[in-house]
Amino acid sequence: MVAALAVRLRDLDLAEEAFAEASAAAVPAWRAQWPRDPAAWLWRAAWRRALDAKRRAAVRRRLTPDDPQPASTPEDEVIAASDPIPDERLRLIFVCCHPAIAADARAALTLKVVCGLSTERLARAFLMAEPAMLQRITRAKRKIRDAGVPFEVPGREMWPDRLEAVLATLEIAYAQAYEDAALASDGAGFAQEVLRLSGLLAELIPREGEVLGLAALVRFAEARRPARLDPAGAMVPPAEQDMGLWRGGLIGEGARLLDAAADLGATGPRQLLAGIHGLHLSRRDTGVTPWAAIVGLYDALALFRPDAVTGVNRAVAVGEASGAAAGLASLDAVPGAGRLTNWLPYQAARAGLCERAGLREDAAAAYHAALALGPAPAERLYLERRLGALT
Amino acid sequence: MQYMLLVYEPEDLDQGPEGQASLMDVAARHMALAKAMSEAGAMQAGAGLQPVATATTVRTSASGQTLHDGPFAETREHLGGFYLIEAPDLDAAIKWARQVPIRPGGSCEVRPVATY
Repeated sequence: MVAALAVRLRDLDLAEEAFAEASAAAVPAWRAQWPRDPAAWLWRAAWRRALDAKRRAAVRRRLTPDDPQPASTPEDEVIAASDPIPDERLRLIFVCCHPAIAADARAALTLKVVCGLSTERLARAFLMAEPAMLQRITRAKRKIRDAGVPFEVPGREMWPDRLEAVLATLEIAYAQAYEDAALASDGAGFAQEVLRLSGLLAELIPREGEVLGLAALVRFAEARRPARLDPAGAMVPPAEQDMGLWRGGLIGEGARLLDAAADLGATGPRQLLAGIHGLHLSRRDTGVTPWAAIVGLYDALALFRPDAVTGVNRAVAVGEASGAAAGLASLDAVPGAGRLTNWLPYQAARAGLCERAGLREDAAAAYHAALALGPAPAERLYLERRLGALT
Repeated sequence: MQYMLLVYEPEDLDQGPEGQASLMDVAARHMALAKAMSEAGAMQAGAGLQPVATATTVRTSASGQTLHDGPFAETREHLGGFYLIEAPDLDAAIKWARQVPIRPGGSCEVRPVATY
């Protein structure tokens, strides 16, 4: 409902305030008489409050004549008649992910405005102080209003820029949720929002492979969530997870999305990442993790993302597919490997590969280095356990 | 809404015979853009500015006003001209800004005009 208000008012703050006021007014009013259609009641109350606020603001600014009452469109009449809450979330996602908004504000703003997450919770997820997060969100909202960012889904000709920004934002938001989940149950709800949004996007834009790829990726990753921690709270790598805990419904949804994406014939990094997750999940049917195929997908992914994240993950897969020595060789070949010694995933990968190669001293050194880099509690437990088993 | 498109370029681009030739080329493309803006009903105003060496700055401090030879800020990129346009929203304004002929090293800032 906030989304629908915001699109009509072209002002995120005003929409949130009007909705909050209407909700507050609903409590006493509904106690007296329960409305026939509570959602429609809320919509009308919020809309009226927003218009009042706009009028008051106009008077304060001593504007030339009052804004005329917006003409009633057929859309408004449909709203008044039956379904009071049109789904405006897609438009709002494009607004929040506009390239004119600072990249580091987009994910937080999207989760705040489209999913209604609190500033306090966002601050925690993005490891920021709450006032700083509030300031970032406020600045972004003000820019949207004052610079005239359009509340429209951009035309297809603008999608190369705009859709990519949306997908990148959701990917960042999900990465937060995924990491968060390893340490607290709080993150699961956060991930639920990204699950919903990526599904919505796939429903509304079903002809773009990367949109479907992202939705599949989030579903595959969420399918494994119940198996990611052992009873002691330690991280469990995918290849060792209890397949009985994986959520079959999400796996099926993800597989259907990825198939549909493949039919469109334009591959991209998110489809490849989803494919890698899918191969891990295929152990459910075959009993083995197809490491050689996973290496193949990482090779393809490196064409789109030739970065250290891809390189380190690929080296781990090579270690499983072709032996630890080969894995270590490809870890050394990661671009900029010399600068990665202060990067936790690199040290954790090195430790695992050295351990498998029988290089116990090197492995211990890498485990110590990884532990010194401040891993999350679940990963700390896992690393400590591996280190303990070495000696 | 009204938007200012502020065109910044390093001035040394105009130096030498090659620079002069590229200046002539850019000027012709500015004329064409201004014509397109007028035809679309977007053009409100616009002008190119004389080189920054012609600038004089009036500075105001607590003790009064002083005159300075030169621009307000010593930067490599200088304000070289502007367009004032009418556009329905930021995307439409950015669409015009992308068509402003700017040589490598320059930029075009899009600023909404304040309304009171």
